[in-house]
Amino acid sequence: MATSPMDQLNALVSNMFATGLLDEQFHQLKNLQDPSTPDFVSEVIALFCDDGVQIIDELAKLLEQPTVDFDMVDSFVHQLKGSSASVGALKVKNTCIQFREFCKQKSRDGCIMTLDSARTEFYDVRSKFQTMLQTGASGPGLLP
Amino acid sequence: MAFKNQGSAAPRALVVEDINVDRVILSTMLGKFNCETTIAQNGKEAVDLFLEGKTFDIVLSDKDMPVMTGPEAVAKIRAMGATEVKIVGVSADLGGMEAFMSAGADEFIPKPMTLGDLEPMLQEVISKKNMSG
Repeated sequence: MATSPMDQLNALVSNMFATGLLDEQFHQLKNLQDPSTPDFVSEVIALFCDDGVQIIDELAKLLEQPTVDFDMVDSFVHQLKGSSASVGALKVKNTCIQFREFCKQKSRDGCIMTLDSARTEFYDVRSKFQTMLQTGASGPGLLP
Repeated sequence: MAFKNQGSAAPRALVVEDINVDRVILSTMLGKFNCETTIAQNGKEAVDLFLEGKTFDIVLSDKDMPVMTGPEAVAKIRAMGATEVKIVGVSADLGGMEAFMSAGADEFIPKPMTLGDLEPMLQEVISKKNMSG
């Protein structure tokens, strides 16, 4: 028997919670959506995904420089940490916390290693968010 | 979830936030209370709004922003004589509370903020606005 889009969506979200990709903050986000803001969750997720790609690209460029501007790196990591915390992207947030420590230590190697982790975690959650948006688009919206 | 303050003047809120996602979330939360929301992307933009003579009932400010931080902006806003506006510092930084309160903020909420955190503050602002007519 084919599963409905809503069942697929629920299974995906449950899996994301179970694997630590998402935390309770995602529920908070869903609770903000109502008939007056029917696309709220989709818009926030899309914004997180778009901004995250740009931030990670900027971080890669900054860490390739002969002299690394760790304050600038930290500023971008701070943005990614903030937005990931706000959407409930737990693994990305936690990786950013580690990243900021390496920025404070002015460790290029540490930053590069953590950027790799952040990139992996971000693209993993982004991929699942995109599936969520596509599944939601083919069925009921992401309503609580 | 209905929080709309029907029949009351809309509270004027200023959101000072450099992170796009957080701006949208905070603006949506304020929308639940029928707020007229203005956005500033850093502390300097917020200060400039006050310098232009704009007034607000509540300011919600992030701490770490480019150009000018939240606490720096709060200190300047208070120094301008804007003592009535309720200023709320918002930050995931554990040191954020001290920085904001020292600068003259009224309250501090740790990030990520929930609607439950915001509601009592907005209700206070709305009640004050209704009493002043």
